[in-house]
Amino acid sequence: MEGRSVSKHFGALKALDGADFHLEKDEIVGLIGPNGAGKTTLINLVTGVHALTGGEILFKGKKISGMKPPAISRFGIARTFQIAKPFSDMTVRENVLIGSLFGKNGARRSTGIALREADRWIEYVHLQDHRNGSVDQINISLRKKMDLAKALAMEPDLLMLDEVMAGLNTKDIEEMMHLVTRINQEFKITVLVIEHVMKAVMSICHRVIVLHHGRKIADDTPQGIVNNDQVIDAYLGERYAKSRGKSR
Amino acid sequence: MFEKNRTLIVIGTVIGIGFVILPFFMEGYWIRVITSIFMYGIITAALNIIAGYAGYAAFGNVVFFGMGAYTTALLMLRLGLVWWTGVLVGGIVGATYAVLLGSAILRLKGPYFAIATLGINRATEQIVINWGSFTGGGKGITLPLPQMEVKDFYGLIYYVMLGLLALTVLANLLVIKSRLGYALRAIRDNEDAAETSGIFAPRSKIMAWCLSAFFTSLAGGIFAYWFSFIEPATVFDISISVKAFVMMMLGGVGTVIGPVFGAFLIELISETIWGKFLTLHMLILGMIMVGVVILIPRGMVEIFKKKLTLAALWNRIKNQSV
Repeated sequence: MEGRSVSKHFGALKALDGADFHLEKDEIVGLIGPNGAGKTTLINLVTGVHALTGGEILFKGKKISGMKPPAISRFGIARTFQIAKPFSDMTVRENVLIGSLFGKNGARRSTGIALREADRWIEYVHLQDHRNGSVDQINISLRKKMDLAKALAMEPDLLMLDEVMAGLNTKDIEEMMHLVTRINQEFKITVLVIEHVMKAVMSICHRVIVLHHGRKIADDTPQGIVNNDQVIDAYLGERYAKSRGKSR
Repeated sequence: MFEKNRTLIVIGTVIGIGFVILPFFMEGYWIRVITSIFMYGIITAALNIIAGYAGYAAFGNVVFFGMGAYTTALLMLRLGLVWWTGVLVGGIVGATYAVLLGSAILRLKGPYFAIATLGINRATEQIVINWGSFTGGGKGITLPLPQMEVKDFYGLIYYVMLGLLALTVLANLLVIKSRLGYALRAIRDNEDAAETSGIFAPRSKIMAWCLSAFFTSLAGGIFAYWFSFIEPATVFDISISVKAFVMMMLGGVGTVIGPVFGAFLIELISETIWGKFLTLHMLILGMIMVGVVILIPRGMVEIFKKKLTLAALWNRIKNQSV
């Protein structure tokens, strides 16, 4: 995926202001930056939820900016939401089914086959005990897993995870980190993770992009990022840098 | 799951056969009452597809009833077509109307869509009234009378309505089990999330409204032939839609059987008791609507599904915060 001088203005607010970025196939890329830096806006532009003010976005060599959200999803891009947006009147199983029924290969599937697919993904993220539970009965950690299973059921080539670890406890974060790495290796899915949990970003990402005020201020390996003065000033902070043994 | 479905199918078949043989044991008045119950069952079950499954409150759905009625009447009168051809064409005209309107107003959400459908019903009614030379205008239009015994005629209408009701319920069942049904439910729960999950929301909503309009128009066509006189004020009457909403909510919004169940309950009470209190009628309907929303927002079906007791219902009243 590639974005060329991508801009999104909401009135006078420049949520994204001419950002260039690219994702190679099979990469796990972290997208970090302070609140309001434009991270979620970027995902919303890629998935077609918002229209671009300027620039263009390409995926698999094709221009996707301007396409409708469902068309982009079926072209191979799936996302999870920062605040999980489950279909609240459906069971866990039906939520995941929506992914396998309307994702990349969904149109060729009967509902019966799509249900079997959904079950496969539910087991993959270890949700089988809650399969027939209703969404409002499960906790946030399970809900994030369900969101992930639904996105996986769409069989994307690019998966964008919007703060999938926020609100999870240490053990759940570990499990989620392991899952994301496994997904990337096993299915050759390119992953873009927006995350504030730096431990996770550092250990699972191959590369990290830093946004600040709608602009890209750094694009480097995780190691390079934590030693980047501009990033420390804008986001990580003096204390984080010190804890990693960097002195200025 | 399968066992439960089989029980429901058996119960449904028994009730169906019951209604098929019922006319042999009944006199004219009751035939008419039950035919009217069937008709409301059709309107409510059809409304359920767009309002129940997709969550789009098409308050002006009665416009398709009127379209069906007028198409049937005009085709029979002006072109001399047989009644059932008129009814079928009426269904197609109504469905087409829904596709055209839907492309424009189904992008509106919530109350805006509901109000737009009300406006369209009103506008369509006005066109019919003002195009008097063709439609007969505000004073109505009389259809060619059926060439058969009155008793046979009412029997025919009874069975046609029963058949169409069965088809409408079947359509509900097929929709909810299908790809379209899942798309509609996803749209109802969260349209943005549905779209990023690969669901083409406009297409699905138009499809749902088209189906809903088709069955509603057919019911309107049969109604026109049945009453052999129609006027704009009757067939575009918004209280038909209001009644259908009450029935749908009382029975169970977004369920297959609920809306029909609600139609039976309300129409039976309405015909037998409230017919004697014409002005109180709407007041009581309104009170039922409020009661349902507070007590059983998911309708009577919820009582059976969750086996709610009177005590549980009383608790819901007590827990209402003002």
